[in-house]
Amino acid sequence: MTADEWKIEHNRTKRSKTMSVSFKPVKPLFQTATSAVSRWFSYIGLGIGVLLLLCSIQMFVNIQQLLKGGSIRKDGYDFISITKTVTNETMGQFEKNLFNSEEIMELKTKPFISDVAPLEANQFQIELSAGGILPFRTNLFLESIENSFLDTVPSSFQWQPGQTTIPIIVSSDFLEIFNVFAPSYDLPQVSAETASGIPVLITCSGDAGREQTFSGRIVAFSDRINSVLVPKTFLDWANLTFKGQKSEHASRLYIKTKDANNTELLRFLDEKNYKINKDKTKFGRMKQIFQGIFSGLAVFGVMVIILALLLFSFYLQLVIARSRESLKLLLELGYSPGWLSSNVSRRFIPAYLIIVIVALALTQLMQWAFHHLVMYDRPELSTPINWTVILAAVILVGLSVITNYKLVRRLVFEN
Amino acid sequence: MQLRIQNLLPSFFKKESALESEIWRKDLSFEKGELIKIVAPSGKGKSSLMNFLYGMRNDYNGTISYDDHDLRRFDREQLARYRKDYISIVFQDLRLFPNQSVFDNIEIKRQLNPFHTSEKIREMTARLGIEDKLGVMSSQCSYGEQQRVAIIRALMQPFDFLLLDEPFSHLDEANAERAMKLMLHEARLRSATIVFADLERIDFYPYTKLFHL
Repeated sequence: MTADEWKIEHNRTKRSKTMSVSFKPVKPLFQTATSAVSRWFSYIGLGIGVLLLLCSIQMFVNIQQLLKGGSIRKDGYDFISITKTVTNETMGQFEKNLFNSEEIMELKTKPFISDVAPLEANQFQIELSAGGILPFRTNLFLESIENSFLDTVPSSFQWQPGQTTIPIIVSSDFLEIFNVFAPSYDLPQVSAETASGIPVLITCSGDAGREQTFSGRIVAFSDRINSVLVPKTFLDWANLTFKGQKSEHASRLYIKTKDANNTELLRFLDEKNYKINKDKTKFGRMKQIFQGIFSGLAVFGVMVIILALLLFSFYLQLVIARSRESLKLLLELGYSPGWLSSNVSRRFIPAYLIIVIVALALTQLMQWAFHHLVMYDRPELSTPINWTVILAAVILVGLSVITNYKLVRRLVFEN
Repeated sequence: MQLRIQNLLPSFFKKESALESEIWRKDLSFEKGELIKIVAPSGKGKSSLMNFLYGMRNDYNGTISYDDHDLRRFDREQLARYRKDYISIVFQDLRLFPNQSVFDNIEIKRQLNPFHTSEKIREMTARLGIEDKLGVMSSQCSYGEQQRVAIIRALMQPFDFLLLDEPFSHLDEANAERAMKLMLHEARLRSATIVFADLERIDFYPYTKLFHL
């Protein structure tokens, strides 16, 4: 290679590497005025789809936040309690109104029931008083259930023989009821925190005049179980100690199921004449229904987006088809198909960005209106849109850009 | 760069029809700086040969290689790189963008891998007598003017091989000679080879090798 040749070669490679090719002179070759209508249609379609999806996600999050405390679901399961319906015929016949071990086993074998636990009751007399703090004394019942069926199990909810303090979990409904009737008995209304601090005296009395007083302390309130619950170890011990027998029958059973509205489950319970505590499932169901509606809307939004992207792909095919001759000539002149693909598709990135930003802004406006005008600034909700909505918007921009690039590349390489 | 043709024959040609050819089914190589003239009457495959050499068609038997790289094995990007950096062409059918101005038609090629500045476009168009057409859409130019645009466009890039497929078919002799001089000058600047296919010999092309197709 001579010095001149080297110089030419050097200049060539240097220029090839450093010169950036401008899309400006190439751009007019891809502009076709008649396809503008289909372009705008696809932009609008894409905008509607994105808006639907983002709003659905935001509403989904809102519902999660609004109904956070009311769910009877835990780890994907519903917990419902069942009792036997007491009729005039079965009145007074314990064995007919209580669940025996065969019936519990039968329930356990059903595929739509994940687990069953009996709510065992005391077999002896119990009296509760608030000691010297409140002039309050009442007969009481105690029940126990396996810990896995409880919604809140504090670490202090344990009992061992010899222990004089019994941890208690009380239905939050009971506290509410107490606060309703307390004023009429000249008793002070108490908050959940105060109630937890009040030491109560539990006196157990059984056969042969046996009696023992324990101190009880409320360690938690349960939204799920309407009862006064003590650790199973205590109740088993107390039933043996004061009555001489373990609890063999249960008046209430708790069922752990994937879906409390399962038709097979409901049909089976009807057949057996078992009664469900429906109240506790209502809140969870409502949440599920709302979430279902917004999931459906989100799916619809995704479908609209797919349709819009399809429409956009038709538009692109039209553009490429109309510019086919120019594209072919550009490739013949030495334009890289990869460079052309990325530059043609890059032209649409601002449009995608604007669409998603406008949709995000409208979602924010919707959230503001929902929070202020519909929900009257409820503290569970927040006015700014949730981060998942922003993440979804970013993912949508990415997806649109990638699908667009792939499509253009395929169309360019077909030439 | 070296161009080598081995046993080349269009797949639509019969072997017997290539018996008298000095190109088809021969083993030839062209080095940088040569001036090749290929003469043939219509229908003998001049444009096919140019299209084969430029990698636009693959319907041939045999091998075409640049520096021992088989042209048929080039992928789309490699081919684009060769067309941008090493091989330039003046198509017989000109192939301009009809709705672009003369300047834009040339600039589109120039900016791809600029061997010249855009000022050179004015200089060359002035030299070939079409300077006043720079802002005119190429579809509004005469064939002769378009042919000169196509020639200038081919000279905007670096190249080792300049392929000319009947480049003067629409030009009078004086304009053809001016264009030829310009191309010879540009080829010399790059120490490049010109492969010039035409119906007949022309006096103002000082070829170093002559082939009958």
